[in-house]
Amino acid sequence: MRELIQHPLITVRDKKHVPFTFNGDPYFGNENDAVSSALIANDIHIFSYHHKNHAPQGIFCANGQCSHCTVLIDGLPQKSCITPLKEGMDIRTLDGLPELPGVAEPIGETRDHKETCDVLVIGGGPSGLTASLELAEAGFSVILADDKAALGGKLLLQTHKFFGSTEDCYAGTRGLDIAALLGEKVRRHPGIRVMNNTMIAGIYKDRKAGAFVNNRTYKIIDFKGLLVASGARERSLLFPGNPLPGIYGAGAFQTLVNRDGIKAADRLFIVGSGNVGLIAAYHALQAGIRVKGICDILPRPGGYKVHADKIRRMGVPLYLRHTILHAGGTEKLERVTIAGVGAGQRPLLDTAKTFEVDTLLIAVGLAPVDENYDTAASFGFPVVKTGDADEIAEASSAMFGGRIAGLNMAKRLGRKIRIDPSFHEKAEILKSPPGTTFPKQKTVLDERFRPVIHCVQEIPCNPCETVCPVHAIRLKKRRGNILDVPEYTGGCTGCMKCVAVCPGLAISLARRIGETKAEIILPYEFIPDFTDGDKLDLMNMEGDFLEKGTVKKLRYYKPGRTTLVTLEVSLGNAPDIAGIRVQPEAETRPSKTTSFNYLPDDAILCRCEMITVKQVRDFIREHHVRDMNQLKALRVGMGSCGGRNCSLLLPRIFRELNIPPEAIVENTRRPLSVEIPIHVLANEKHRDSGEG
Amino acid sequence: MHYDIVIIGAGSVGLPLAYYMAEKGVSLAVIEKEVSPGRGQNRAAIGGVRATHSDPAKIAICRESIRLLSAMKDEHRIDINWKQGGYLYPVYREKDARELRALLKVQEKQDLEIGWIRPERIRELVPGINMSGLLGGTYSPGDGSASPLLTADAYCQLAKRAGADFYFNAKVQHLDTKGRYINAVHTDAGAFSAGLVINCAGAHAREIGLMSGQDFPVNPDSHEAGITEPVQPLFDPMIVDIRPAENSQNYYFYQNTEGQVVFCITPSPLKPGFDCDNTSAFLPSVTRRMINICPRLRYLRVRRTWRGLYPMTPDGFPLIGFNREIENNFLAAGMCGQGFMLGPGLGKILAETLIDHSRSYDFIFTELSPYRTFDNEEALK
Repeated sequence: MRELIQHPLITVRDKKHVPFTFNGDPYFGNENDAVSSALIANDIHIFSYHHKNHAPQGIFCANGQCSHCTVLIDGLPQKSCITPLKEGMDIRTLDGLPELPGVAEPIGETRDHKETCDVLVIGGGPSGLTASLELAEAGFSVILADDKAALGGKLLLQTHKFFGSTEDCYAGTRGLDIAALLGEKVRRHPGIRVMNNTMIAGIYKDRKAGAFVNNRTYKIIDFKGLLVASGARERSLLFPGNPLPGIYGAGAFQTLVNRDGIKAADRLFIVGSGNVGLIAAYHALQAGIRVKGICDILPRPGGYKVHADKIRRMGVPLYLRHTILHAGGTEKLERVTIAGVGAGQRPLLDTAKTFEVDTLLIAVGLAPVDENYDTAASFGFPVVKTGDADEIAEASSAMFGGRIAGLNMAKRLGRKIRIDPSFHEKAEILKSPPGTTFPKQKTVLDERFRPVIHCVQEIPCNPCETVCPVHAIRLKKRRGNILDVPEYTGGCTGCMKCVAVCPGLAISLARRIGETKAEIILPYEFIPDFTDGDKLDLMNMEGDFLEKGTVKKLRYYKPGRTTLVTLEVSLGNAPDIAGIRVQPEAETRPSKTTSFNYLPDDAILCRCEMITVKQVRDFIREHHVRDMNQLKALRVGMGSCGGRNCSLLLPRIFRELNIPPEAIVENTRRPLSVEIPIHVLANEKHRDSGEG
Repeated sequence: MHYDIVIIGAGSVGLPLAYYMAEKGVSLAVIEKEVSPGRGQNRAAIGGVRATHSDPAKIAICRESIRLLSAMKDEHRIDINWKQGGYLYPVYREKDARELRALLKVQEKQDLEIGWIRPERIRELVPGINMSGLLGGTYSPGDGSASPLLTADAYCQLAKRAGADFYFNAKVQHLDTKGRYINAVHTDAGAFSAGLVINCAGAHAREIGLMSGQDFPVNPDSHEAGITEPVQPLFDPMIVDIRPAENSQNYYFYQNTEGQVVFCITPSPLKPGFDCDNTSAFLPSVTRRMINICPRLRYLRVRRTWRGLYPMTPDGFPLIGFNREIENNFLAAGMCGQGFMLGPGLGKILAETLIDHSRSYDFIFTELSPYRTFDNEEALK
């Protein structure tokens, strides 16, 4: 099975294995894991064949937002990514449209499920958790509805240490540890009722929300105020071959690997060098997956430089000013071809490189999930949005923003509250994109350990300064806030706390030994496959190979759950060595033969209904479309996702046709935001368990 | 801008009317307050089209609609998802049986293809229907359904090709009337003059009428509707359950050619007004009724819901005819939720009457005159 046997940071749980069948063949999977994860763990990647063109369908959002992972479970179509695996399930590939069972019992007893609260918080991620706590502290009764089994949202998937400020948002602590911390606080608070596995399917005019709970109950929640912290959805990308199984979002990948412990791929490629793409590469490497490369059409990495640098040091090439030409494979992804781009971002076909991969992660940005906010606002309800649902930013800023949102909601509900003006300032700083990049300073080593800082770009981050017991590292006072870059000001005791805490893995300790040698200490967030005396490839800040160093000592620094590796190196290179290569260079080389079929018009724009870019473009031209709703005649926006995915891709098509954005009318959004079975909406009493 | 004809409203009625008139060579403009065609109540219609009404006028109009919609694919190579699945009224109460049988006599007189069928035949038509207490029902195989969205788009394209001009984002601000004549229709997109101004403003027809001092009794109430995921074919007919239930009157549903079940309910009490926002009570109540009548539907997943307007008149029949006070003003409104099924036939008939001066349809204009006394109630709204 494709389960993680070992992981440096995720506790590989001993889950209960239960038997199930897939197309009649026996398999085993982890009970209560998503069915999709159980299938992928058994190397089953094709879930259905599309009813329009019989194209194979694999996992896509892993978040219940699309319907690509639909399979037949005990005869009924179900989204496998939100259905927990149970013993004895009869799971089958869905071929075309499903057939409903022919016979059914008459209607059973039905009953209404109602809940009441002061504030309904949608989303138990970083911002929803802190907002709920603020509101409950202010005395409001809160229902926190989250669509997953465990609180924490995307924090749960983050094995890296967080940026931000130690004081305001747990910087230096790993995301999954923050999730546990905040989740526990929320669960213990008597003012907060947590509703897990709950999707808010609609906001209604009578100031009620419809909640789809545990795949089996429909609850109507009465609220006074609504706080939308429902995060973001991943943007997809238009390129030929884009609907093939094996191509999906970086967030979906993190769910499979870091939540369900599935080694979802063997070799992958990533498009998008923002923080999400960079972190996905890091997560893949931690799970023992080869990362062949990351490409981005931009000339510089979109994410923090420290992130990009550490990924390069680990041995992942970054192909900047490159785009995806084609994804190929018969039933699922087998290869990806990229090419450099020239003027007007046109691909230069003679620069094409093909990589043999089984997975392509799309990390080209996020879009707020804010439709419940818009609906509630149009109805005039007290409503506040926060976190990614408000503005796409780091989780560190979401945690702080959630607190402000909670206070704002308390104010909207009539509570006299003064929000400290410094809160807004801090929130802005935490949201800041990277600032200036400075040249790296020359370091001279002596016999005492000192930190060497490989962090030269302004980002909102300060754990190194906070953690140092002797205040030997300080942020330079250029801006006077946490965006400032750190510098060593003398007095290091060699305690290594800064090395272990730095989220960018951008601090090493170094000292001179004799005339030509030096000793360095580097952080290592993988399970070491080396021991004392082994020689390792050592890289400079931006990932160029410098020399092989000899391992002298391995230490596990428990508070940061980081391995610290002491190496002997040459004195000349010592100040420049910033990291250890994780995957050999030979593993990332492109194929000897380049193979692609560049037909950009064939890219699928609407995945639900399998509509191509060409079909959409022709329709827009012929029908002079300015209203996205008109595209419903092509069925764009009529599918399972309700236009949530394609509406993010359409602006580009309009732009290509020289139609100004202000002339375009957005798709109308209506409930439900998730498809719900009729028996659930009716709340038929379940005969099997007696539960409603 | 001057045109022979200006149609106010690019909806279920205005769009086919624009096509059938423009086809006859008149210069014609359609002015619409929304940004694109069919964005008023057409988008909210579920798509049923039946000729099996109780009165001669609607029967004649809808017969024509069925003829036109069923020929759309062959004649114009436009697929509007037409499906001749029939209408089925399953009956579980003696009272309903009596009423429908009485209505059948009227309908049979009009040569409508409709008859009483036994429960076993109903089960053949709708496998899995609740047989408990089923007394039989009426079935009219010639009726059908089409996609309102595709039909609106089709007529808009056809009208454009026939030479009609469309002005969107053109809300009518006021009518410049002089004596018994509309000199100009002032809109956000400029002023229009025309030999004939036709009010096809649907739920807003009264508002337009008032601009020339005429108070036509068109007042909307709202109904909620929904659509499921697509599945393999379940049944062909539109199923209408006329039994009242808690919070609702009749409701009806069918499976479209995509495989999706589309359903709509009439709330009780009625909800007058223009509000089209979803309410929380709809889904639990409609789904219970769906499982009740056809238990296997319980496994279907609902995809989307919406709420739309029925522009009602006092007796449940449309208002069609010239404005008595204004010479160049014609009213085709108050479709009472049947604009989609009436629109195509009505458009064709109005084009022949107003442009070719046909007298074949005079009985329709007598029956549906805006100035009638409103003392008959429509039997099956």
